[in-house]
Amino acid sequence: MVDAARHPKIKVKTYTNVDRVEGYVGNFKVQLREKARYVRADKCNGCGDCARACPIEVPNYFEMNLAPRKAAYVAMSQSVPLLYTIDQEACIHCYKCVEACGALDAIDFSQEDKVSWEDIGSIIVATGFNHFDPSVIPEYGYSRFPNVITAMEMERLNNSAGPTTGNLVRPSDNTTPKRVAIINCVGSRDKRFNPWCSNFCCMYAIKNAVLLKQMYPDIELSIYYMDIRTPSKGYEEFYDRARSMGIRFIQGRPGLITEDETTHNLYVHSEDVALGKVVEHEYDMVMLNQAAVPQPDVDTVSSVLNITQSPGGWFMEYHPKLRPMDTPTDGIFLAGACQGQKDIPASVASGSAAASRAGRVLHSDEWAIEPIIAQVWEDRCISAQGKQCGICAKACPYGAITVETGTAAQVVTAKCHGCGGCVGECPHNAITQMHYTDAQILAQIRALLAEKPEEKIFAFRCHWCSYGGADLAGTSHFEYSANERGIRVMCSARMDPDFIYEAFRLGAGAVLYSGCHPQDCHYITGQLVGASRAERLQKIFEKMEMSPGRFRVEWISAAEGDKYARVINEMQKSIDGIGKDKLKAEIERMKPEMEKRARRMYDVPGVTQASDFSDTMALAMSVQEVGDGK
Amino acid sequence: MENEHPLTLADQVRSIPGGEHLEMCYSCGTCVSKCMIQQKLEPEYNPRRLLRLVTMDMREEAFTSPTTWLCSACDLCYPACPQQIHISGVIGAVKQLAVEAGYESPLETVAVDEALCSGCGICVMTCPYEAPHLIEKEVNGVMDRFSEVNAEKCMGCGMCVAACPIGAIAREGVSNEDVASQMRIKPVKDNPSLVVFVCDWSLRVDEDMSLLESYPENVRVIHIPCSGRIDPQMALMALDSGIGGVMVCGCAPGECHYKRGNYVSTCKMSLLDRMFGQMDIDGEHVRFVQIGTQDRGRIRHEVDSMLASLQKEVA
Repeated sequence: MVDAARHPKIKVKTYTNVDRVEGYVGNFKVQLREKARYVRADKCNGCGDCARACPIEVPNYFEMNLAPRKAAYVAMSQSVPLLYTIDQEACIHCYKCVEACGALDAIDFSQEDKVSWEDIGSIIVATGFNHFDPSVIPEYGYSRFPNVITAMEMERLNNSAGPTTGNLVRPSDNTTPKRVAIINCVGSRDKRFNPWCSNFCCMYAIKNAVLLKQMYPDIELSIYYMDIRTPSKGYEEFYDRARSMGIRFIQGRPGLITEDETTHNLYVHSEDVALGKVVEHEYDMVMLNQAAVPQPDVDTVSSVLNITQSPGGWFMEYHPKLRPMDTPTDGIFLAGACQGQKDIPASVASGSAAASRAGRVLHSDEWAIEPIIAQVWEDRCISAQGKQCGICAKACPYGAITVETGTAAQVVTAKCHGCGGCVGECPHNAITQMHYTDAQILAQIRALLAEKPEEKIFAFRCHWCSYGGADLAGTSHFEYSANERGIRVMCSARMDPDFIYEAFRLGAGAVLYSGCHPQDCHYITGQLVGASRAERLQKIFEKMEMSPGRFRVEWISAAEGDKYARVINEMQKSIDGIGKDKLKAEIERMKPEMEKRARRMYDVPGVTQASDFSDTMALAMSVQEVGDGK
Repeated sequence: MENEHPLTLADQVRSIPGGEHLEMCYSCGTCVSKCMIQQKLEPEYNPRRLLRLVTMDMREEAFTSPTTWLCSACDLCYPACPQQIHISGVIGAVKQLAVEAGYESPLETVAVDEALCSGCGICVMTCPYEAPHLIEKEVNGVMDRFSEVNAEKCMGCGMCVAACPIGAIAREGVSNEDVASQMRIKPVKDNPSLVVFVCDWSLRVDEDMSLLESYPENVRVIHIPCSGRIDPQMALMALDSGIGGVMVCGCAPGECHYKRGNYVSTCKMSLLDRMFGQMDIDGEHVRFVQIGTQDRGRIRHEVDSMLASLQKEVA
């Protein structure tokens, strides 16, 4: 950290908030709010005279509130840069610090937050994780029983720079404990709080036990665990070492801790799974190994940076296997445990990876993006005609579209990721997506529904999930109806209502509208745009008295090949159930309404030609079939 | 792809409301350490293992396991289960299947003395397990109503015994005579006597129980299956026979072993308190204490302070 601070090309800005982020990859504009320290950074030399003079003591967060700090303080002695801060919430304005600072004159009570804009090429998010508060688990008695402590409190107690200079003592009477229990999975792997495994606590428990055993060879140590998870290199060997040192591992999650009110000793009740019976052991001290949880301000950070969260609140990566450091927004990368619970080696590795990903942005003059961006037909955009609209801008998950009444909507090409949400939403068909134009998709629909359309199940699949699901169904040999005809678009957001109307107008027996599960969407909120549209469509078709089962909306992930096959088979069953004649009559009845609803699409540039083209294709195909003697 | 295999025990349990999610169990043992039955009653009792028997389709073992029959659905384990399995629901489902398969509860249950029963139905209203119900049958040519107890449902808490106005329902050990016979204490001069009715489940720690037993003769400990078994009349009888005070020791709110026995006793005891007020009886003669699972050592304070306040009155 000191090296980083001294590096001529690195600026370290501590006590600073990121308020706003604008722009795009390579060209971000970031608004920083440097909070007032009431100490001048250019003058303070970190001598600490102000803190010594300060009469106010408040709990020290860094020491897990086991020791006090002054109102004039540094967060920790290794802080870089070593600048003191005056905590205005605690300060009583006695100005003793000003006196103590003397000629240095570093203290300035008139300081205010400094807001500045910076040009930034790429952003790495490394906001880390937080600890679960075990006081919400009443059976463990944390915060009621003084000798029940958390892992972080233990970390301060056996740290030689900590409040006890490294002597492990019981908070109740400052004596050294002889018997210590460590309880794993406090708040992790627990559906009441956090369903995930916090990844590093098993090793952390073993590390603490080994450290204590080395420091106090006579200490009696027990680790209560459900499963010991030691999956990385050298971890299992470390676990072996801990057992050979005489540390007792008890399989069984304690259900209760009780306290002797005079000695403040603790009794841990658990089932010893190996014995199959309940055991009660007495300890002097109990350490709770609490879960890793996302930072409390993840929502703010994700809305400022326009990045997404996985279920639970960890920041979401672009792709879990192939692009684990990238966010959906180009030029913003994730490092460390903000992306998911990680131990130190994994955090360091992800930090290096994120730095090299960010370096690519900084070293390139040009940035390659997917060619499937959205483009506006300015003459068709009603905003250019002075009418209020902006539907496209609302649909865009990346904020890539700006709309000002009087001019046509503008797409910032570098921000566009090609989900096609704006294209699907635009009621005037004034935006198109390159390589997924209305004409191209329509040509596919027409070609696939050229013959016996009433027998076909037409599937719209999103590229990232349901197309993969269909693919998996195929490679896994899950049988499904051969009447399925599917096309691929990038996102369920691109599935224009016009396409659905057109498919029904052409006489499709059934239409499947499928995409990712909400939390899996590759385009941040693309699925939500698609899902709300699908809901609208369902209501419309209901009003038109369409037979149930002909229009179906399903969210199918790339891992759900079985679901894809099942859905298609169910759809086949439901059109079989309607009956051929009734179905044909229904298609004929609805045709004019479908045509009326899709009318705006027909005058989109290229659509007419596309129809002709696909008719020729269909004809050519059928001629070939005749030639083959079929 | 129709499933043509016969239903496994797990399938059957899952299909009974309450029996879902049993496959989520990862054998952490929280339920076992929460439960009092293994510590107080039956060392072989183990809900974790029962869930395992069910998932492994070990029907015979599951149906004969004491876990199937002894669970009283107190649900101490459910809020603590990290996998949010409604364990008592699963056990209930296994029990239902066991009953259907012809297995019988090994528990000693209450029985109705038809010569006394008037068919008033108070026991039906009292029972937390819906074990008693009214039947009509012909006795000496006359149709009469009686209460009848479903032995599969009765958990033996004795709440109905306390509620029955005629003493027509009882089981061995908790009948009115059995309790009353324990209440006789030889008065010791200048030393007030105290009867402690203690619920079998309320003192989690064995040390607390032996501590209670170790008081000198003027403190008489009477074990009852549940504080809901207490009958206000018993307290009155005790006071009438010269005993200084009566203490009823039950479980903390929400921790009753028999669903709502401690709620019933709360009502009874506060009613008794009000009665004493109306009768202008001063001083504390009756005390109801609710000991939670984490209240290690609290019983000593309660008994000591009750004795001290009785002592003050005598002096």
